[in-house]
Amino acid sequence: MKNSIKVERAKKNITQAELAKLAKVSRQTINAMELGKYVPSTVLSLRLAQIFEVEISEIFTLEDSDWV
Amino acid sequence: MKLNYLFPNKYKKIGWLLLIPSAIIGLITLILEFEPNSLDFNVPALFIDELFGEKHFIGIVSDNVLNEILAVLIIISSLLVAFSKEKSEDEYISKIRLESLVWAVYLNYAILLISFLFIFDLSFLWVMVFNMFTILLFFIIRFNWQISKL
Repeated sequence: MKNSIKVERAKKNITQAELAKLAKVSRQTINAMELGKYVPSTVLSLRLAQIFEVEISEIFTLEDSDWV
Repeated sequence: MKLNYLFPNKYKKIGWLLLIPSAIIGLITLILEFEPNSLDFNVPALFIDELFGEKHFIGIVSDNVLNEILAVLIIISSLLVAFSKEKSEDEYISKIRLESLVWAVYLNYAILLISFLFIFDLSFLWVMVFNMFTILLFFIIRFNWQISKL
């Protein structure tokens, strides 16, 4: 799964640490998601969508490998 | 996400403060076979199988309780170290926790399997002594190593 957290974060002009605080997770979790090392839960995804004020599908995109 | 199977974060420190000294003392007493007479007590036992006696349930045996005290301390403190929340316990940490636990179980039983096949008789007693604690020990090492890499 791809995500545009980094892009959305840039649009809002906030750091990983600031986003982490808003989303109530650690900065490491934000970093792991941006690097594609961690797929967030539905709850965290919804929180991110609310923080960025976008639809959840604008942040996360399925890839072919997600169907394997 | 609410996790109710973990201890509060402050217990981690308490766990370390208990684990390190009791593990060191435990190792030393094990190697030196140190059993101070002042800790010889008659204690209740659930199952008794004396060397030249009968087998029976429930009774009183004479025992040096130092190893019992140390084992209880080591087990409780390693549980606290292993299963206290991190300062920022979130879902990613939970995933690392689960992965580390599975990894620790695999490693522990891999070592036990090899020990079963290649270590015999009284030497195997040492394997059993250490195996009581290694599953938690492997978990603690792996989990903290993964957390420190973040």
